[in-house]
Parts: sequence; structure tokens; C-alpha cells
Amino acid sequence: MAPGQKMYPRATVKKIVKAHSKCNVSKNVDVMMFLDYALFMQTLMKEAAIDSKQAGERSISAKSVKKVTADSLAKFKG
Amino acid sequence: MMASNNNNNNHPNSAQNRRLAPLSTPRMIATPNRRATSTEPFSARLSASARRNAAATPHARAAIRALDQRRAALFTPGRTRRRSLREQRETPRDVLRNLSRVLAPGTTTMSSSSSSSSPNKSHGGNSTLPDINDDDFDDDDEFPIERPRFSLPLGPEDDDDDDLKPPRLSGLEDENYTATSIELPRRAWSEAPLGRASLNSARYSDYIGPELQSDDVGIDSGFFPPPALDDDDGGPMTLDEQTMIERLDAEVARRQTLLGRQSDFGPIHLPEPENESTFMMGGVESPARDQTMTGAIEEGVEQDGTEADAPQMYDYDSDGNEPFGVPDLNEDDTNDTGLGEDSRLNETTMLSASRPATQTFEFTARSRSRRGKPGKKISRYGIEYPSLPPSVVKRLATTFAKTAGMRNAKISPDTLDAIMQATDWFFEQLGDDLSAYARHAGRKTIDESDMVTLMRRCVDSQRQTSASTTPFALAQRYLPRELLQEMRMSAPITSKAPRKKSKQSRDGEEGEEEVT
Repeated sequence: MAPGQKMYPRATVKKIVKAHSKCNVSKNVDVMMFLDYALFMQTLMKEAAIDSKQAGERSISAKSVKKVTADSLAKFKG
Repeated sequence: MMASNNNNNNHPNSAQNRRLAPLSTPRMIATPNRRATSTEPFSARLSASARRNAAATPHARAAIRALDQRRAALFTPGRTRRRSLREQRETPRDVLRNLSRVLAPGTTTMSSSSSSSSPNKSHGGNSTLPDINDDDFDDDDEFPIERPRFSLPLGPEDDDDDDLKPPRLSGLEDENYTATSIELPRRAWSEAPLGRASLNSARYSDYIGPELQSDDVGIDSGFFPPPALDDDDGGPMTLDEQTMIERLDAEVARRQTLLGRQSDFGPIHLPEPENESTFMMGGVESPARDQTMTGAIEEGVEQDGTEADAPQMYDYDSDGNEPFGVPDLNEDDTNDTGLGEDSRLNETTMLSASRPATQTFEFTARSRSRRGKPGKKISRYGIEYPSLPPSVVKRLATTFAKTAGMRNAKISPDTLDAIMQATDWFFEQLGDDLSAYARHAGRKTIDESDMVTLMRRCVDSQRQTSASTTPFALAQRYLPRELLQEMRMSAPITSKAPRKKSKQSRDGEEGEEEVT
């Protein structure tokens, strides 16, 4: 089940972080950034799935995603 | 009781009668209440029994019983009553008083060691009382105390009476902003619009754009008179109609020069192109509202738009600038904002030439699914940035939804929008944190050590993964193979990363490799 069997746009990640931090990003850090993002997505989807199940929905709804976004972001705050 | 019982031998039937016996004593005083209740002639025994029958209500019965008991206590002679009274008198206070009487002759007054209380003691035993008494005596000597007045004053000259002070506001005087400011409606977080600027910059209302701090009354000032009305400080409370009309006309003229819009209701279109996902409730104003408020708002909006230097308000757009594989929805926009024609024109004139894509504010219900429109978002530092392609996000989300146990792991477009929003916020937070780390280390480049620090902090704080989980093990799990190569390459290079970490990571990495 490896989630990341395909590549992701490395330059995009680098650009995003560079724009947000106004710092340069060294060479291979974006890999770890994407790793962190993958972990974040895992947490987010896990929480959203729990929330959706509690709400009795069959699939993950946007509402539950929005509800758990703040908590998930707070978990990944450095 | 017993003595009275002897008198009442002819009615031995009940204890109540026995207890009520003192009523028959000839010295008994009849209260008017009792006379009113009992129409019987004043013969004690008959009246008592008759009253008891006549007193239907429990209140009357209780009152009569109380009266009788009181009388019995008054008129019972004999030692038994006295003895009972003595028993009653022996309260703890009486015990203490007796003790004090015993102890009083043997006690001596102690001089306290503190020097401050000595003058008071020299003045008198009770230090507080003589002052009051002195004042009272002075008052009595000089002026007699004014007799209180029990009638309400009629004329206005009574207002300067000292007794009737006008009520005074406690603390909420003029120039107090919080007294006049109104908290604007806030949106619950769970229902927040997708395009909120960022998590950290939570706005206090849905109104975006003009920060109305200069006008001390906020936008929704239907509850309060607009500040311009307060400015003309005519003594009488009647408003000067002339000035009112003039001011209204002036405002209308200014509004027409500003926007040329006729409708006072409906959406207000902010000319900022990026901020399509926040929406303003332009129609909040009631129809009877003064028009100057909308004028003020639009004026502020105009100023903001022309200055166009508030990127952090408008920067992070929820909807990705990546095409979602969906055709451009601009016609949808025009349908949405029926009132937006002229503002759209204004906006296009105001836009810088680099951004020809016109995106208006939308005021429609949030239920309408938003798709990304091409266009870049601007970060806090004014740098444009793209967002992750939705296909990548969707793939990740689907995979993790399957992992999380959702049977239907399909991601609806709304959900994808929410996830994209979360993604944007995540990268914003990530950038902020990483830049903070890098600057703390005195670097201008985000290094791998920053990322390691960040992830370790996260892992430590959430405790969702074990402490032995290294970034590299995680990378083995979550990243594609070709990126693993680069992580492996880059790990030894970053000497700033903690060595312990790197050793562990190498071990974990090898373990992972063996497993796979």
C-alpha cells in the first residue's frame, strides 16, 4: 500500500515553502517536507474518517475534514 | 398547663383543648382579628372550639395556634414555665458570660507590643467610637441635620439637590472604544469559508477589506446612531433636518462618484481578485439604514483596492490555482454575482496588468462547490506560490482514507476542496515554522536540520509515533523510492542534524530495507 509510489511535484513543494518562509530551501529538504505533508494527510484523513463515521456518513465529507483540520494542523505545528 | 387543665375538666376530650385552656382565663385579651373571625359571643371555651372549627384554612389554624401558645406562655403561672425558660436561657452565650464573670476579676489588661496602637489606646478603650461621636456632636451643634424630604421634586431647580444625584455611568465614558464598538458576527470554525486567509490570522468577522477602526462605529451600526449624528452637538435633542439632508446628499454624491452603483443592497464587490472565497454580506443593512454607512464601507474598500498592499489579507486562496480538470467556471461567476457588473469593470481597471483573470467576490451560498481557478496565491511576503496539484492531493487522500478504514474512500469534490485548503494551511504553517528555525540558527536557508527538528518536535508532541520512529523510517514507508535515494544521499551531508538521530535513522533505514 505504499502511498507514495508515484512522484510528486518537487519543485512545487519547494516553491510553496519558499514563498511562505521567504527563505531559501536547501537541496533535498523538500523530500522531508513532503514526508511531513504525507504524515499530516494521514492524520487528517484518519481524523476525518473518524468524524465522518461518527456522523454516520459513508464517505469522508467536507464538513468533517474542515472540522478536524485545525486539530491536525495543531498537531503538526513545530 | 396543669392549672388550666383543672379548669377545663368538663371538656376532657382532647389534648388540644387542654393546651388551649388558657384562653378561658378572664384576663385574656381578644384581638380584633379574632373578633372578626369568630362571631360567637366572647366566651372562651366556646369561642376556642368554634374558632377551631371555623378556621378552615391551615394558615388560620396555624395563626390561631401561635396566638394560643403565646398566650399560654404569658399566662401560665408556676415554676414549670419558669424552669423551662431558664433552660432556654442557658445558651452557649450565657455560658460564656458566666465564664467571663468568673474570669473577669482575675484578668489584667495586656499592653500590646506594637507601638502604633498605643496612641489609640491612650485616647480611649474603643478607638473608633469617639471620633464618630465627636462628629455627630459637631453636626448637632452647628447645623441640625436636614430633615429628609419625602416628596418628589417637581421643578428643575430640585435637581441640584445633593440627595438626588443623576445616575452616572461607571467607567464607560466617552472615547471608550469598546463601549461603542460592536463585535461583528463571527463564523464558527467548522463552517468557515474555505478561503480564509490563514489559520493564524483569524478575522473577527466575515467582512474583509476595510478595517473600520478609524470610524469608531463598526459596519453593522444599525443599533447605534452613526457617528456623524453625534458630532453635531446641538443642545436640544432634536436633529437639525437641514444638516441631515445636506449630509445625505453629499454622501450620495460621493458614492456615485466612487462606484456609480445604484443599489444599496446586495453584495459589495471588493475589487481584490484573489479573494474569491470570502464573501461579504452586503445586504445586512436594513432598508431604513442611513446610506452613509454603505458609502463608508465602499470608500474603504476602494482605498484598499487601490492601495493593494494588503496581500496577507487576500493572499491564501483556498482554491488551488491548479486546474482541477474542470473547465473554467467564469460564466458561473457571472451568474453568481448578478450585481457585479460595474464592480467587475472597476476591478478590471484597477487590476495590475499582470493579472488579467478577473475573479469577483462571490456572495452566494457556500454550498456551491468551488473549483479552483487559475491564478496564483500570494504569501505573506508577497511571493506568489502555487499549490499542490489536486491529483497528488487526491491520491494521497484516497490512500489514507483507505488506510483509515473508510469503506468508501472516494473523495468528493467538496472534500477535496477542504483538503486542499488544509494543505495550503499546512504548507503555510510549515513555512513559518521552518523559517523560524532557520532564522534562529542564523541561516537564510532552510536546512534539513530544521526539518528534522520540526518533525521530531511534532513526533514528540503528539506521541502518535513511537520515539524510535525516525524520519527515514517514515520516509521508507511513505515516500517513493527515488526520493528515498536522495534522502539517503543527503542525510550524511547534513552534519548539523543530530548525530544520534542520524545513527538511529541509518539503523532504522537498514531495518526497513531488510524488511521490504
